[in-house]
Amino acid sequence: MLDLIIVGASAAGLAASVYAARRRLNFKIITGDVGGEVATSGEIENWPGVIHTTGIELADQFKAHAQANNVVIEEGKWAKRVAREGDFFAVSGDSSNGSGFKDQAKTVLVATGVHPRELNLPGEKEFRNKGLSYCTVCDGPLFSGQAVATVGGGNSVLESAIMLSGIASKVYVVNKNPKFKGEQVLIDKVSHLANVEIIYEAMTQSILGDKFVNGLEYRDKAGAVHKLDVGGVFVHIGQIPNSSFVEGVELNEFKEIKVDLVGRTNIPGLFAAGDVTTIPHKQIVIAAGQGVAALLSIVDYLNKNH
Amino acid sequence: MSVKIYTTPTCAFCHAEKEFLKEHNIAFEELDVAVNAQAREEMIQKTGQMGVPVTDIDGEIVVGFDRARLKKVLGL
Repeated sequence: MLDLIIVGASAAGLAASVYAARRRLNFKIITGDVGGEVATSGEIENWPGVIHTTGIELADQFKAHAQANNVVIEEGKWAKRVAREGDFFAVSGDSSNGSGFKDQAKTVLVATGVHPRELNLPGEKEFRNKGLSYCTVCDGPLFSGQAVATVGGGNSVLESAIMLSGIASKVYVVNKNPKFKGEQVLIDKVSHLANVEIIYEAMTQSILGDKFVNGLEYRDKAGAVHKLDVGGVFVHIGQIPNSSFVEGVELNEFKEIKVDLVGRTNIPGLFAAGDVTTIPHKQIVIAAGQGVAALLSIVDYLNKNH
Repeated sequence: MSVKIYTTPTCAFCHAEKEFLKEHNIAFEELDVAVNAQAREEMIQKTGQMGVPVTDIDGEIVVGFDRARLKKVLGL
C-alpha cells in the first residue's frame, strides 16, 4: 500500500514530492500534465534566487528536481474521483491509453491547481481557439501585427497586455473595474506602453466574428455599446479551482478546498496545497511552500495513524 | 512517416508534446508559427482554428497535445 498519492504536478505537487522522496515515503504522483499553471506563466521574475526565468523552464526544473530524487510521475492520468474507502483513499480516473485507472494510498495530497474562468458570453464558445484564447503566453505569438483585446482586471491581464504589446499592432485592455487590482510595477509598465489602450468600466458583451474573431463589443458606464475591431481576444478574468472530483471535502464559496495552515482538510488523511486551496494569494512560491508544509504534516499523520 | 508540429516558443503544451515525441524517438519537423507566417496560414487552413500545438502526421491532423490520439496515429 502506498503511503501517499500526490494528485497534480505543478509547484505544490512537485515541491512536496522532493520532500516526500527525501523522507523515503512510498508514493507516486498522478497527473494529467506536468507544469500546470507554472508552465503557462510566461516570464517569471519573482521566484527567489532566480532573477529571470520562464514558466516552461521553471516547470522543467521542478520536474528534473523530482526525477533526480527518483519520484515516480505518472503522466496522462486524469483523476476523476478521490474518495475515502475504508482505511484508505482511492484515486480513480481516465488515462491517455484509453483505459481507466484506480490507485489506493494511505493519504492523498490534492495539488490540482486551477483552470481559466470563462466569460459566459455570446460568441465565446464558437470562437474558442478561433481568435479567442485563455492563454496569452501560448497563443499570443499568432497575432503579430494585428489589433487584439485582452479582458480582465488583475495581474494576469496586465502581464497579457505587456506580452501582447510586443507582438500586436494595438492592444485594448478591457477592464470592468475603474482601476486594476494588481502589482503596481505591472500597472506602471502597462500605462507607459504606446500601443496599449486601457478601457475602464467596460463590460464585455459579446465576441464577434465570422470564421474567426473580428471584434469585441463592450458596454461603457453610461450604457452605450462600443465595438473594437480586433482579430484576437484574450480572457484573463480569474481562475476556477480543480476541486470538484474530491468527495466529501469542504469547499468555500469559490470552490477552493478549505485547508488549515499545514494543508489539512476536513477529512483526516486528505491534504491539499497550492492554487486549488483557500490560500489567498496564487503565487508559485506560495504554492511550493504550501506543498512542502502539507507534505510534512502528511509525514506526521502517517507516523501517528499508520 | 512524416511528422510536422506547429508551435509557438512560449506554448507549454507544444514543449510537452515535443518532449513526448522525443521520449518515443519520433523524428519531427517543428514550424514556429510565431515567426513563420506561411506555416501559420497553412496551420489555420488545415485546422480552421488558431490553437497550438497542431501535429500533422502524414496528413492526419491532431489539434492540441492529445496524448491518446497521438499514440493512436503514431502507432505507439
